[in-house]
Amino acid sequence: MRLSIDADRCMGHGRCYSMAEGLLSDDEEGFVAERGRVIEVPAELLADAREAAAACPEGAIALLDSASAADA
Amino acid sequence: MTQTRRGCPVSHTEYGEDSELYGHYALIDAEREASRFHFNDTRPRGFWMVQRYEDVLEGFQKHDVWTTSARSALNPESGIALLPQDLNGQDHAKLRRVLNPFFSPAAVKRTESLAHERCVELIEEVRPKGRCDFVAEFAIRYPTDLFLALLGLPVSDGDFFLPWSETLFQGFFGGDPAETAEAKRKILEYFDTAVNERRAAPRDPKTDMVSRLIEARIDGEPLTQDDILTICMTLMLAGLDTTRSALGYMFTHLATHEDDRRGIIDRPERVPAAVEEFLRLYPLVFQAGREVHEDTDFHGVPLAKGDVVWLGIASANRDPRKYPDPDRFVLGREGVNQNLAFGAGPHRCLGMHLARLELAVVLREWHARIPDYRVEPGVRLTERGGQLTMPTLPLEWEV
Repeated sequence: MRLSIDADRCMGHGRCYSMAEGLLSDDEEGFVAERGRVIEVPAELLADAREAAAACPEGAIALLDSASAADA
Repeated sequence: MTQTRRGCPVSHTEYGEDSELYGHYALIDAEREASRFHFNDTRPRGFWMVQRYEDVLEGFQKHDVWTTSARSALNPESGIALLPQDLNGQDHAKLRRVLNPFFSPAAVKRTESLAHERCVELIEEVRPKGRCDFVAEFAIRYPTDLFLALLGLPVSDGDFFLPWSETLFQGFFGGDPAETAEAKRKILEYFDTAVNERRAAPRDPKTDMVSRLIEARIDGEPLTQDDILTICMTLMLAGLDTTRSALGYMFTHLATHEDDRRGIIDRPERVPAAVEEFLRLYPLVFQAGREVHEDTDFHGVPLAKGDVVWLGIASANRDPRKYPDPDRFVLGREGVNQNLAFGAGPHRCLGMHLARLELAVVLREWHARIPDYRVEPGVRLTERGGQLTMPTLPLEWEV
């Protein structure tokens, strides 16, 4: 499973890394440091990833199935 | 006959008046359920009410064409400049980048010991008395002291500072223009002195906000003195009234819901989740305004350039389509982190991390010292219109 954070949609609410400290981190402006990227989610952090995605008020976070998300 | 305006039911509901406690939520809930959108005609510039969660969120995200030229639907011409709120687009983003580092979770964490210290001092001041007006004796003093300390100003200035900020705040909702102007003049004069002192003796811009504002450059240009003063005043207006108000609603709830209070006393680790649910359940800034800058159709409502839109924050947070059983306090509620108490989009509240910290500190420290308390019997609790706050909350406890 992979997680993507849309840099344009992310507004720095900080709810994602508050929910998933082992997976995501904050930068000095309070935005999630991983925005604009797609990251691999280790199996043991899957629940955290789901919570982070569900916590974003802007809907900026998506969970992608590694198998179906074909890389360009 | 049902009145309509461009296809919308017309609302005559007045949201600026004082009421019984929770009276405004009852009005908001009823209107949201009566119709998805309303046109409200209680103001010289009527406004379109956007009320359901998905619509309110979408409204906040339409920042390219719905701007903050009208910050409040209830008073779109407040006449008080605010920064960064009044900016939009790139200008707004650039100034937010100057300010954001002071309000990031990491920066806020640095103020935790100060918040804790001031909170405990103020609690210990009232505790031996066995009663207090929670609003006047605690809830407004705490954020005011922290605000002054964060700006590097003397906490004792709160005594004369507070009445000015209260008067100025009233100006947003139609207070006396002459009194508002006078309060504004005094506050700007106070900040002018403080900023000039920093120009003469700068401190570390990484930790001292005023020093940072002085050295900051946007497109190579320093901020003007006027803009720096406006920013200081904005931070004050944004942070003091809201924190005081949030505390009033939280403590009314806990004083009247034994099980919820017991849950916090017994398990302080639940405090952050409780804060989030309180923010959802009792939003104080119950609406934000926007001005439409382009003719547009919003889900069937034909909006014209110059129209004012009401983004119903409280309406969204209490929308049963998003939050089932919305009047109940539910710890760990699904989706609670998506509540819109602090707005959304690029103008979301700059101080939201600080606010969460301040509220969490109070919940922990107060209940560690005064676990059991009640609203003084016989008191009629009321709330101010426009932007909710409780004028008074008399609490009592055993000593």
